[in-house]
Amino acid sequence: MAPEGRPRGGVKFDRARVAADASFTFLGDGEPGGKAAGLAFIKSALDERFPEGDYQGIPVDIPRLTVLLTGVFEEFVAANGLVLDELAELTDEQIARHFQKADLPVAVVGDLLALISGVTTPLAVRSSSLLEDALYEPFAGVYATKMIPNNSPDAQSRFRRLVEAVKFVYASTWFHRARDYAQATGHDLRAERMGVIIQEVVGHRFGERWYPTVSGVARSYSYYPLASCGRADGVAHLALGLGKTIVEGGASWYCCPLSPRTPPPYASIQQLLKNTQTAFWAVHLGQPAEYDPTHENEYLVRSDLRQAEADGSLRYVGSTWDPASDRLSMGLAAEGPRLLDFSPLLRGEIAPLAGLLGELLALGREKVGSEVEIEFALAFDPGAGRPSRFGFLQVRPMVVRTGGADLAEALHDPRQVLIHSHQVIGEGEIGGVRHIVYVKPEAFAAGTAPRIAAEVAATNRRLVAAGTPYVLIGFGRWGSADPWLGIPVTWSQIAGARAIVEGTLPQMNPDPSQGSHFFHNLSSLGIPYFTVPNAEGIAWRMLEELPAVEDLEFVRHVVSPGELRILVDGRTGEGVIAC
Amino acid sequence: MAKESYNPFLMAQAQFDKVAQGLSLEEPVRELLRNPLREYHVSIPVRMDDGSFRVFRGFRIQHNDARGPAKGGIRFHPQETVDGVRALAMWMTWKCSVVDIPLGGGKGGVVCDPHNLSLREQEQVCRGWVRQLAHDMGPFRDVPAPDVMTNAQHMLWMLDEYETIRGGRYPGFITGKPVGMGGSLGRTEATGYGLVFTVREALKELGIKPEATTASVQGFGNVAQYAVRLYQRLGGKVLAVACWDQGDQVSYTYRKQGGISMDELSAITDRFGGIEKAKARDLGYEQLPGEAWLEQEVDVLMPCALENQIHAGNAERLSRQVKLIAEGANGPTTPEADLLLEKRKVFVIPDFLANAGGVTCSYFEQVQSNMNYYWEKDEVLSRLDVKMTSAFLDVSELARRKKLFMRDAAYVIAINRVAQACHERGWV
Repeated sequence: MAPEGRPRGGVKFDRARVAADASFTFLGDGEPGGKAAGLAFIKSALDERFPEGDYQGIPVDIPRLTVLLTGVFEEFVAANGLVLDELAELTDEQIARHFQKADLPVAVVGDLLALISGVTTPLAVRSSSLLEDALYEPFAGVYATKMIPNNSPDAQSRFRRLVEAVKFVYASTWFHRARDYAQATGHDLRAERMGVIIQEVVGHRFGERWYPTVSGVARSYSYYPLASCGRADGVAHLALGLGKTIVEGGASWYCCPLSPRTPPPYASIQQLLKNTQTAFWAVHLGQPAEYDPTHENEYLVRSDLRQAEADGSLRYVGSTWDPASDRLSMGLAAEGPRLLDFSPLLRGEIAPLAGLLGELLALGREKVGSEVEIEFALAFDPGAGRPSRFGFLQVRPMVVRTGGADLAEALHDPRQVLIHSHQVIGEGEIGGVRHIVYVKPEAFAAGTAPRIAAEVAATNRRLVAAGTPYVLIGFGRWGSADPWLGIPVTWSQIAGARAIVEGTLPQMNPDPSQGSHFFHNLSSLGIPYFTVPNAEGIAWRMLEELPAVEDLEFVRHVVSPGELRILVDGRTGEGVIAC
Repeated sequence: MAKESYNPFLMAQAQFDKVAQGLSLEEPVRELLRNPLREYHVSIPVRMDDGSFRVFRGFRIQHNDARGPAKGGIRFHPQETVDGVRALAMWMTWKCSVVDIPLGGGKGGVVCDPHNLSLREQEQVCRGWVRQLAHDMGPFRDVPAPDVMTNAQHMLWMLDEYETIRGGRYPGFITGKPVGMGGSLGRTEATGYGLVFTVREALKELGIKPEATTASVQGFGNVAQYAVRLYQRLGGKVLAVACWDQGDQVSYTYRKQGGISMDELSAITDRFGGIEKAKARDLGYEQLPGEAWLEQEVDVLMPCALENQIHAGNAERLSRQVKLIAEGANGPTTPEADLLLEKRKVFVIPDFLANAGGVTCSYFEQVQSNMNYYWEKDEVLSRLDVKMTSAFLDVSELARRKKLFMRDAAYVIAINRVAQACHERGWV
């Protein structure tokens, strides 16, 4: 198995130069996988655009990384006799244990030991498979990422944690989430090849926590433009701490990089407060809670805003609400409830974050040749005299469909219209769908979201197995890990849907969701996503009259006599689903 | 094995003397280091299966233990000689020193042919050997291991006998134990992998990619098989392997121009590394005379069998294409052959560096056994890689700086370390 040509932008790992300036290296042979290939691609563009390595005083780079190429995974699986079909009946934890007991190829272990001996900052061990982040085959968010604190003084101990993390990411290739998703998208997981990125985590140490001040996802095209921005001006989602908050659809702040002072639409500051981020993720540097290499969050800790304020990180991202005047003041000088609106950074010009994001989105659009989505993290703590750093973590092409569709005919007879909305992602016409799975509004109550998720997942599994596409209707943010903001499903649990509708109810009324991974998958797969405020654009009576296939406690599955017409005008964001 | 004209101990002493001269070592130090500290010669009476008795001759030579307990294997061979064991014990001292593990050098043997002994008889030889030597060996004195024609089972019999005599459990007494009975994961592969770690580093130094090289290997036992596997994994192609044919009592070389297949050959190889010749021919391998392995048009030679294989009589027949020799066996190249190789600028990784993977992993096993805590294989092999690579780099750096042949540089480092230890202990 001779090594193939090296990925563009990287050099072969050389243990003699671990501490030197080789910031993008690879081990083994094969392909780098989607994430790593994207980073390799953009690296030279970043070097060219920021020749001094910084943007207005903020260092900008891709955090140092080493890629285990896909050949290492192939050899690992083959040499240890791991066969997908033989492990298919096991739980994810059992699969993970099989992988933990297996041995990494001898050709790379020495280099991994040398690598970890020279690095003592927290590391993210991330998937980079062949199927991830390709334009039309988005496996984003399907595989695992494991963060390790990497702070033991003993290099052997750090090596063991690294090896466990690599094996865990390998195992996630065959977890149920991945298998369900592959089946739903018509892929054969046996053909999947997993690369692994071992990368520095951008951040600072705050006591026993390591996290960035800001992490985020920015897109060069927005389906929900803010008041003063056009769709092509883009959007950014920002969170305090690790980007896991955004990836899992938790509360985050969204803004337009070209108009950073414009807040998202809201009815009142109380509504903003209800939807503000109140907890953040960090890498735990202290004693881990319980040793479990089969658990993705083994070394992560979730803390609240009081902790962030005590750490000193909140001062750069928070504002304070004065109930008496019903006004927000930037920063934390005053007493009162805190709101994460990132105004000190976005408005106070203490750091050129908005300008930098705009620059990067433009660069990505130019180099990739399409709209793009980027992930990033910013370590920022000048108050403590610590150096800042902007880490560019990922770039993905976005498919933006703006062809337009004629809705007039579908809207001609209102009696046939099931769903009508002026806030729709997607474009064009979706055919071949007769089934609808919807959350019953009368059964929906606060706290029931997890049970709803379970029923939806079971229905999805049944429909996927039967090859039956459907329209999915529910309340709150589909995919939010927070059951008080939405229904906590993973993408693979709803991947059989060909159109998704997000309504709101008084008891479930968060800001419209743009869960990072769902969004990417939706747009790339051409799945329209309807937002229907107050659920007023949904013809409930018509749904109730459709013949039921299954009627569960929270979820009802019905079928239309004829094919549904699902139409979206990508230019205006108007869409309809009609019988 | 040992020809009358070839005395391995004299060769080992000659190698030492040359380096000692260059280092200007004082005479007492030279005298101390060019001879073993202690020797034990034993007689082992065994009742054979047919009821008769035989008395086997055995040895244990402790060359030097200034840096730590003596370490070295026990070989069963019908042509074993005490000079051969002395040489091997000395090479073990240098080997442990050059990879910088805290052990000294020792070696043992019994003059016998296990092919001609039943399992019960072999067990009696093993137990008898330990009975004779138990009070002069142990986890903190002298730690034996497998060697030519001894294996994990032999080690377990010896351990059991030792523990019976001592009245306790002493897993650190002996290495090469089976995994699960005090053995270390990775031990089986260690010597072969360690050899290729040094090959990998040497090729880097020569500016040659492994995938652009071919190799020929003498021997097809444990060391050679794992070396071939890893070398192929790095992209190299092995064109020929040579092995001993027990039936014909000669060696043959098996060649395939497109590269040998480990899966094919390992399926037709016995536990002593002998390839079934008829099956090899059926699989398309050319069967050539035994010495043909060193005449192949390849870049790398890996002698992984016995000593004295590249000598004045055959060194000229090496192909001009050969750029690197990695000595998987002990003493495969004579000093006279060394001169020719040096003249041809062939890069030689000396035996006691190249094949130190085995003793390094033995050291790991000893550590784990003494702690009664065992590491995962990833950890063992990663430590092995780093240790071997570090040792190679130390030697090659000295060779470059002082413009020395690699063997000489390795000896300088090794001997200096041992001499320093003897001096610091106040021995000389």
